[in-house]
Amino acid sequence: MDQSKVRRLVLDPAEPFAFSQASLQDYADCARRFQLRYVQRLSWPAAQAEPVQENEQHLRRGARFHRLAQQALLGVPLEPLAQIAAADPDPALAAWWEHFTRLLPALEAGERRVELGLSAPLGRHRLSAVYDLVQVFPAEGRAVIWDWKTSLARPRRAWLEGRLQTLVYPYLLVQAGSWLNGGQPFAPEQIEMVYWFTGFPDKPERFTCSAAAYRKAGRSLMALVREIEALGPDGFEKTPEEKTCRFCVYRSLCERGAGAGPLAEQEDEGEAESGEIEIDFDQIGEIRY
Amino acid sequence: MNLTPAQLAVVRQPPGARLFLEGPAGSGKTTAAVARLLALLDAGVPGAHILVLVPQRTLAGPYYAALRSPAAAPGGQVSVLTAGGLAQRMVDLFWPLVAKDAGFDPLRPPAFLTLETAQYYMAHLVRPLFDEGLFESVAIDRNRLYSQILDNLNKAALIGFPVSEIGERLSAAWSGESAQLRVYADVQRCANLFRDYCLQHNLLDFSLQVEVFRKHLQHSLLVSEYLKASVRHVIADNIEEDTPFAHEILQGWLPGLDSALLIYDQGAGYRSFLGADRASAERLAAACTTHLGMAGSLVTPPPLEQLGQRIGAALERPQAAPQEGADWDSALDFPPELRFFPQMLDWVAGQVRSLLDSGTPPGEIAILAPFLPDALRFALTNRLDALGVPYRSHRPSRSLADEPAARCLLTLARLAHPAWGLRPSRVEVVHALFQAIAAIDLVRAQLLAEVVYRPKDARLSPFGRIHPDMQERITFSVGNRYEALRAWLADYAEGEPAELDFFFTRLFGEVLSQPGYGFHSERDAGQVAASLIESAQKFRYAIEAAGGMDGKPLGREYLEMVQDGVIASTYVQSWQPPQADAVFIAPAYTFLLNNRPVEHQFWLDVGSNGWFERLSQPLTHPYVLSRDWPAGRLWTSVDEYEANREALFRLALGLLRRCKGRVHLAFSTLSEGGYEQKGMLLRSIYQVQLEEAARG
Ligand code: SF4
Repeated sequence: MDQSKVRRLVLDPAEPFAFSQASLQDYADCARRFQLRYVQRLSWPAAQAEPVQENEQHLRRGARFHRLAQQALLGVPLEPLAQIAAADPDPALAAWWEHFTRLLPALEAGERRVELGLSAPLGRHRLSAVYDLVQVFPAEGRAVIWDWKTSLARPRRAWLEGRLQTLVYPYLLVQAGSWLNGGQPFAPEQIEMVYWFTGFPDKPERFTCSAAAYRKAGRSLMALVREIEALGPDGFEKTPEEKTCRFCVYRSLCERGAGAGPLAEQEDEGEAESGEIEIDFDQIGEIRY
Repeated sequence: MNLTPAQLAVVRQPPGARLFLEGPAGSGKTTAAVARLLALLDAGVPGAHILVLVPQRTLAGPYYAALRSPAAAPGGQVSVLTAGGLAQRMVDLFWPLVAKDAGFDPLRPPAFLTLETAQYYMAHLVRPLFDEGLFESVAIDRNRLYSQILDNLNKAALIGFPVSEIGERLSAAWSGESAQLRVYADVQRCANLFRDYCLQHNLLDFSLQVEVFRKHLQHSLLVSEYLKASVRHVIADNIEEDTPFAHEILQGWLPGLDSALLIYDQGAGYRSFLGADRASAERLAAACTTHLGMAGSLVTPPPLEQLGQRIGAALERPQAAPQEGADWDSALDFPPELRFFPQMLDWVAGQVRSLLDSGTPPGEIAILAPFLPDALRFALTNRLDALGVPYRSHRPSRSLADEPAARCLLTLARLAHPAWGLRPSRVEVVHALFQAIAAIDLVRAQLLAEVVYRPKDARLSPFGRIHPDMQERITFSVGNRYEALRAWLADYAEGEPAELDFFFTRLFGEVLSQPGYGFHSERDAGQVAASLIESAQKFRYAIEAAGGMDGKPLGREYLEMVQDGVIASTYVQSWQPPQADAVFIAPAYTFLLNNRPVEHQFWLDVGSNGWFERLSQPLTHPYVLSRDWPAGRLWTSVDEYEANREALFRLALGLLRRCKGRVHLAFSTLSEGGYEQKGMLLRSIYQVQLEEAARG
């Protein structure tokens, strides 16, 4: 019995799980998807949105923009970055870059933490996030979380408000960010979260936090985690919202259709931005055995 | 965490200490380092300022586990990287600063090559030269030839000598027939060609990533300030397995760090063929303020340690420290007299079964061999299967392209692109149908292929055109599924061809993974499909970055390269297999670098000289291409013998230090090929036994 291929069906009670806003969002969208993706770690290479080619272009363009923004914020001179954006095969990138350079002066103030990774215990597990940018104003004990969104359509405020990201990012900054604030946790009301849209630069969406919202976020996150911990192998149910399945790669497995939904109707921005692009650095070392 | 006094001493060193910690495997160094990492976090050191540096990711397991646990204080995320990973990250991030000076087009982003795509470009450049007689005298598989040239480039970068000196260094140490010098000249020519091509096309293989970092980035003001701000504390584990490149980085950082902990495993150094350098690791001790040592083992019973030292003495290793009177006999298990190789495998499987029956958890058993060819793995796992033994292997036994699911996708791709002229054989179509359609057996798949497939024009005909009797034999449910698949392929073939990875994605999602098809209920087939699609996608990215294919369809090139074994010939798992409680089957070095001790080790085919002799590598040389090899010194058979004995001692000692209970020696009088065998490892063990007997 080759056990290399045996997959778990529930969370390992002996192993802490690394939660992120993306995995929690997946759970909130569909428990079955969470089980397939994070518990079973099942790669299922179907299309996420159609046309496949455009979807890929969209994801890669988003990744390139994130890289340019990161470089600019780290102090790489803007001129070569502008040249790279202008030479990009995708004309949208140059436009996004131009929008971003208009935003840059506002990002100059305070201390900038680019691609900041934070992590804190969550029950017997861990919660982690990588922030595009956190702008810290130490004198005021204030922080602004920036998140670049490269989606084709500008999502509605209500939709963003319901996303786990909007809950997790400020919560985790309070939990794990005291080292950014002279050793004191940020007061929740001193945290602002801004979604900035590359295609709609003049219409950012801002969310403020409060002590009550922070406490509620903590309770909601723990409740979610306890719910996941308590699920048995058959407890991860398919979502009743079949619309969700149109943009889910597991749809054939769940018998929820054949073709992927149209890219233009996808409110989320796809998967490439949910974390760092995984690069296998160690192939050189591992392949020889 | 229960710590020994020696471990506590490490944890309690002042926060600003620069520590050099050495000791044998199993003495508890990594546990101490993990505890110190957690203590740093507890003391308020921001995790974002800590870097854990390891030679390869398998060695980072204990750090990842600690950082994932709620025991780690909240804060910034600790980085866990290899030196190569750090270089790639920095090149990617600061590309605009250095691209021009490094000889690239600064307006285009860097295209990082994977091992597979680097191998492809090497093949692309070298293949036309075979007609000129290049490497005529070298009798190895072409793909190994490409990978050894790449190996040389990587070594040049990691050790820090110019690529242009590869041939010269190899030639200067060669003491055999002069024809080999021509081979080294060919190696140099190919390395130059590859390097030039990469520079012209913004391609960065591993060696260029390292070189660009070392020559251009490391000293850039912005980069060094960035690194200075983000790396304040370093824990570098297993530095003896790391390369001079990693050591140089550490050497440069050490004076300015807030704290450092460098860990050196005495008696190890298994990655020398990948450029690891123990001597340059040792030199880092001088840059540290405090030296700590750990002795003894928390893992290995003293008799096993003693056995290792006695083997060392038998191999005439000066550093071996044998003591008399250790009762290592009880820790060693010899098989009964076994004449044939298959009997040895039967014995191993039987012994493993008995251990499980007497209560040993499967995860406490490892079966190890110097190399693990597919045939051996297959023979062994068949026996374990028959006895109901759960096992796991370090990677699937087949190459990606040989996996039935991948073969199915590749065959269907050839059918869907008749213009490419890559007509599948009927047998290939039989196997593709067998994999693609659920509930079809091989007989029906054969019948179906017989009547619907004409290899001459690579066309599938409709099920409806088959004689009704035959339709009935094949069954209508199979026929309907076949028909939907055929129609999908025909429909696709009518339109503009898509990129191959898109073709695979759609075929998988819309047909093959749907109910009624073979991939639907076979999760591993999905995994294989994902790996194949990723391979095709990375291939496309690399080609696109280099400016395309000059008219030849990229998908066709990919399929041809798969057929040639250049691409998809290895199976690099992109996901971590679940850690099952199962017997671990692995090559001995893989086991060492996984660094997880077990109760019982089976040393397979211990009479074979594979334990002693290094793999033949006619185009490269791990010892000559090292930093300390004196220029112009010849590599002689005495050097070879010495190096092999040293490596065998380190290997045996390393394995014994990762054994908590007993080593079971498995050997047969005759080898697999029918020859009598008494390899160096077995002879050394016999010698130790004889000495013991003589002492009474
Ligand atoms: S296809 Fe639908 S039900 Fe299945 S995992 Fe995806 S979202 Fe959940």
